[in-house]
Amino acid sequence: MAENPFEGPMDAGRFAALADAYGGALHRWPAAEQAAAILFAETDEGRAILAHASRLDTVLDRHRVKAPSPTLYGAIVSGAVTSVRQKRRRRFWWLGFGLAGVGLAGAVAGLALITVVTPDPAADHYVMDANATSFGDAGPDADQVEEDL
Amino acid sequence: MGADPDEELVRRIGAGDPAAVQTMVARKLPRILALAARMLGDAAEAEDVAQETFVRIWRHASGWRQGQARFDTWIHRVALNLCYDRLRRRREWTTDELPEVADEALLPDATPGDEERRVNQALQRIAPRQREAIVLVYYQELSNIEAAGAMQISVDALESLLARGRRSLQAMLVRGDGDD
Repeated sequence: MAENPFEGPMDAGRFAALADAYGGALHRWPAAEQAAAILFAETDEGRAILAHASRLDTVLDRHRVKAPSPTLYGAIVSGAVTSVRQKRRRRFWWLGFGLAGVGLAGAVAGLALITVVTPDPAADHYVMDANATSFGDAGPDADQVEEDL
Repeated sequence: MGADPDEELVRRIGAGDPAAVQTMVARKLPRILALAARMLGDAAEAEDVAQETFVRIWRHASGWRQGQARFDTWIHRVALNLCYDRLRRRREWTTDELPEVADEALLPDATPGDEERRVNQALQRIAPRQREAIVLVYYQELSNIEAAGAMQISVDALESLLARGRRSLQAMLVRGDGDD
């Protein structure tokens, strides 16, 4: 199994399977199997398998990708600058919203505190009487009128 | 897995260090561009993918934490996803199923200087997952474990894709291989 490399010397079957997958250059082979592969590569069978795999490698190596142009390099670097600026601006706005939120919360808390600590001033000057009506305390006057009659 | 060689650079980018940005672009752009060019077979589209990959790097750098994958493996995954988006948009596939059988007819011999186009043509003919495996292991020289991680498959599955892909490429590119 590939993730649990073979213990001991490598056999031709495994060597051929690795060459099929990774090609003829041993540095691309799984690190755990390289030591055993290097030993097998010195056999005639090993050399033949590697030579076969290397034929495709030689062709694949002809595919080269041009180095990035300075224009592309510049565009990507300037894109990073823009991105950092936008992030900073966003952070500034969130900081602003945060400060505004803290200020508002403080104002609400302060108002609540004032309401609880400070008694209602009207309560000292108005005592609710059982005879009081919404038109005023008419009780005693009304009784007086009845007696006068 | 050892320490990630890119970790410090990513941290500096997250902190807004312009020198780190330049170092990152110099270090990774050639690799990302080569990956995309071989996956897509189109230089202009590869440049677009490279740019989009870096936009994602800038966006995520401040929140980057090394998990199971190295940063290099992560950006390979990002670039590959962008390549697949473009391949899907091209409507190369009529369904989501990836074509498993390539047209393995031997490609005509290339004139001198034209071998690159011939290899590119052969790479574009094999199944995208096989191409992805070959590009990651052969051209990008990721280890088998890193490549399997980037492709989110097991190492056994990776070796199977590599072997099938190479067999198809061999049939298309190496004359007289059928006689071996």
